Amino acid sequence: MTAIAPRRHPTMKLYVVVWIGLILIVGLEVLLTYERLPAGTLLACLLALALVEAALAVMYFMHLKYERPALFWSLIPYLLFALVLMDHFWPDALRLMRQRLHGP
Amino acid sequence: MSEAATAQAGTLTEGSPYGIPSRKLAIWLFIIADAATFGAILFAYGYLRLANPDWTKPFAFSPTIVNGIVMTVVLLTSSLTMVAALAAAQSGRTSTGIRWLGVTMLLGTVFATLHLREWFAMIAAGWRLFRNPMGGSPLFGATFFGITGLHLLHVVCGVIVIGVIALGFRRGRFGAGHVETTALYWHFVDLVWMFVFPLVYLMNVR
Repeated sequence: MTAIAPRRHPTMKLYVVVWIGLILIVGLEVLLTYERLPAGTLLACLLALALVEAALAVMYFMHLKYERPALFWSLIPYLLFALVLMDHFWPDALRLMRQRLHGP
Repeated sequence: MSEAATAQAGTLTEGSPYGIPSRKLAIWLFIIADAATFGAILFAYGYLRLANPDWTKPFAFSPTIVNGIVMTVVLLTSSLTMVAALAAAQSGRTSTGIRWLGVTMLLGTVFATLHLREWFAMIAAGWRLFRNPMGGSPLFGATFFGITGLHLLHVVCGVIVIGVIALGFRRGRFGAGHVETTALYWHFVDLVWMFVFPLVYLMNVR
């Protein structure tokens, strides 16, 4: 039987730095919201910042950065693939919006 | 124990290809499945929002967005206290670990209380699952209460599970591995909120 070797984890100092980074990103999101950007630009900015936040949380708080790469490659690409497949619904949502805008 | 003896006992096992215990792999698989669930409901919300030109933007900076910022900071801080609990548990400092688990539970409870307070204020203002007091699409209530309700359910379940694990950890029934599994779930709940807050709150600012 092969024993599972304990893996190294980040220090508390690094956790605090990541936490401060996450708080700053939330502050940036709120600031951008009140910059009155076009809805599409705001959505793209907020999604990009949320993805950075998620990556920080997964890699550091959830220790995925410190696990074997096999775990990352077995989990994350499949989730991203499933989320990308959901993008096929957008053309229909746009069609409905145009129908309502140009309807009677 | 020799390999032959192990095989004789019927418990021949191989090392994990991921180098992690099976319970940790199981919670990772749950997290991926749950992430796809939240992804699906957030996509459904985006679909409904895009397809309804009369979508309501009801949220003012105060109190809703201020409340949302406080909730976000509370939840992010609970992730920090959770990693402190895990670090203490893994280094054998049981009482410190239990104390940090208690702080995490407290922060989770504060988050849930703030969230419920916001819900009750909206319900008092006439919002229902399929009723919009502002006259726009009635689907706003369904998506808002549906998404935030599912997240709130995860938070409440998380607080209960952390309590059970902390109790078992204090009695020596559970080990640091159980705390780590619970921590992974709790960080995931935090991670989901990182998408819910900008998409459901900030994108609906007046």
